[in-house]
Amino acid sequence: MDFTISPVNKMIIKAAKDFSERKIPAIEAYMKANNDYPPDLMEIYAKNRMLGFNVPREYGGIGTSNFNMILYIEEMGKTASTCFLPFMMNNSVAETICHWGSEEVKKKFVPPLCDGTAWATMAFTEPDTGSDPKMLTTTARPDGDDFIINGTKRFISMANKPGYGVFICKDLSLAGQKNNTTAFIIDKSSPGISCSKHYELTGLEGADTCDITFTDVRVPKGNILGNQGEGFNILLRWIAGERIQQAAGMVGVGQRAFDEAKKYSLQRVVNGMPMGYMQGFYWMLGEMKVKLEACRLMVYQAVCKQDAGKAFEVDSAEVKVFTTPMIQEVTRMAVQFLGSYGYSKEYIVEKLFRLAMHQGVVASSLEINKTIVGMTALMSRSK
Amino acid sequence: MNIIVCIKQVPNVTQVKWDADGSLIRTGLPTIINPVDKNAIEAALQLKEQHGGKVTVLSMGPSQVESALREALCMGVDDVIQLTDRKFAGADTWATSYTIGCAIQKIGDYDLVITGVEAMDGNTAQVGPQVAEYLGLPLLSYALSIAVADGKVTIDQKLGDVARVIEAKLPALVTVEKEINEYRVTPIDKLIDAFERTIPVWGVDDISPDVVHLGLKGSPTKLRKVYSPKLEKGKVEMLEGTPDEVARQLVDKLNAKFLI
Repeated sequence: MDFTISPVNKMIIKAAKDFSERKIPAIEAYMKANNDYPPDLMEIYAKNRMLGFNVPREYGGIGTSNFNMILYIEEMGKTASTCFLPFMMNNSVAETICHWGSEEVKKKFVPPLCDGTAWATMAFTEPDTGSDPKMLTTTARPDGDDFIINGTKRFISMANKPGYGVFICKDLSLAGQKNNTTAFIIDKSSPGISCSKHYELTGLEGADTCDITFTDVRVPKGNILGNQGEGFNILLRWIAGERIQQAAGMVGVGQRAFDEAKKYSLQRVVNGMPMGYMQGFYWMLGEMKVKLEACRLMVYQAVCKQDAGKAFEVDSAEVKVFTTPMIQEVTRMAVQFLGSYGYSKEYIVEKLFRLAMHQGVVASSLEINKTIVGMTALMSRSK
Repeated sequence: MNIIVCIKQVPNVTQVKWDADGSLIRTGLPTIINPVDKNAIEAALQLKEQHGGKVTVLSMGPSQVESALREALCMGVDDVIQLTDRKFAGADTWATSYTIGCAIQKIGDYDLVITGVEAMDGNTAQVGPQVAEYLGLPLLSYALSIAVADGKVTIDQKLGDVARVIEAKLPALVTVEKEINEYRVTPIDKLIDAFERTIPVWGVDDISPDVVHLGLKGSPTKLRKVYSPKLEKGKVEMLEGTPDEVARQLVDKLNAKFLI
């Protein structure tokens, strides 16, 4: 597979680097002071035309490739700012609605996700539900032209922000059927919705992850995404893309960790020479670099398949299985490289390390992805 | 309101490396749009957003100047024109200004010409004013702001310790300082569109100049030598005493070396 970086790709990287260097510091400063995203974050993204990367222009998007988007995310990842999370969410949910929605649904819900007036959310997880759709307890009960939603979703990003979310619910009108989950697009300011306080997370500083509770929330039938019973498939396709985007961000995180370690290795003088020239340290650098390159190539390969319109769900799971421990190890090595400074909040590597830890548990766990890859291999007819 | 912005592609001197003799290593040095020229583009785009019209960016240089113009398209300008011809090569600021002036005359329909104050490689600050002179336009230089109304352009001008507001009838030429604005992050939709465009290249035959004024032959400036001052290892001297005493000692020492 050819991963030649084209002039367009290079310009995307340049634009992303410019955005990261000139705009993210102010965003990050707000997040540090307020433990939340800036209220105008989506406006900032929209102004810089960063929303709807993979959404056709007729719905307010940009109409470019997922590859270009993950290049942008990779650069944002180097800042270690959590602000890349809502950027990915608006892009991926807008694309998901474009893929599954009727013309009416697309025209109604996609433009606000691209023009910065709406924050996107995607929700499946519940207090007692990991990855099994049969365990869902959030229900959708038909009532005339509406459905009535009841239940709680856990660890939901941007749940308390204005805009639309795709919520996967147990559809009571499909009771007894094998596929009984339906995806509803819900206005998060609807009566009957309440949110908990943010969870304080190990990394992802400033993220607004919380529980969202539905109490007799009325949603029109016209807000169903795809067909009834397709909810879990919609989730699986969405999360396959999200995993690749997340991994791209983590490649950026790993790259920054490597860069910081390299910089330190040239600055810190031990016995009259920069410590990077000691074999123990340049071996570490070599190992970090190789891990990073392998992760990057795997991410690029998966996203190229996605752009080619091929099935990429298993590839995406493989990306998660491979890159999660690799990037976590690269950031851990960076902490080790800087010694006690690496464990200090004065240096960014400890933040990178904490941020990298989220990849194993957010946007599907590492273990469920091992299951996807392993079971697929087991059942495959090819050797 | 139609605006022409003149930009220059320059070596990225922030990534300069020096050889053992203290000379600048030019080989492999990446090129960028002269930074303050991006502020000039931004100023033009903001005026267009207020008043409508069209922004055209012009740049003279070798074939690789195409990448600078592509970047200008990425920022959202309407048109770009590349001035490339072997006969333009080696031009000093006068010949460059003449060539650019001819190209602007060829474009014809414009209300305002905007340039950056100066290029970061030559730092002459001559091309903008010389283009104004050639075209017979009022020059408003060192602008910290630009406003257009009622057929006039008004700027806040920075001249060292002096600041003043000046006004001229359109058409006019304005040179801008980097403090005039913060240029935009490249919008991704414009970026994608920019790579769909073909960049027109104008040569001598397109701008009908008097060829004796072009390039090296048309340049009154004769460059004898370009060199970097040799770096010498200095000596650090710590001055002691109260702040007043130290200040006096410092003034005496600088005076002795005729530095102040």
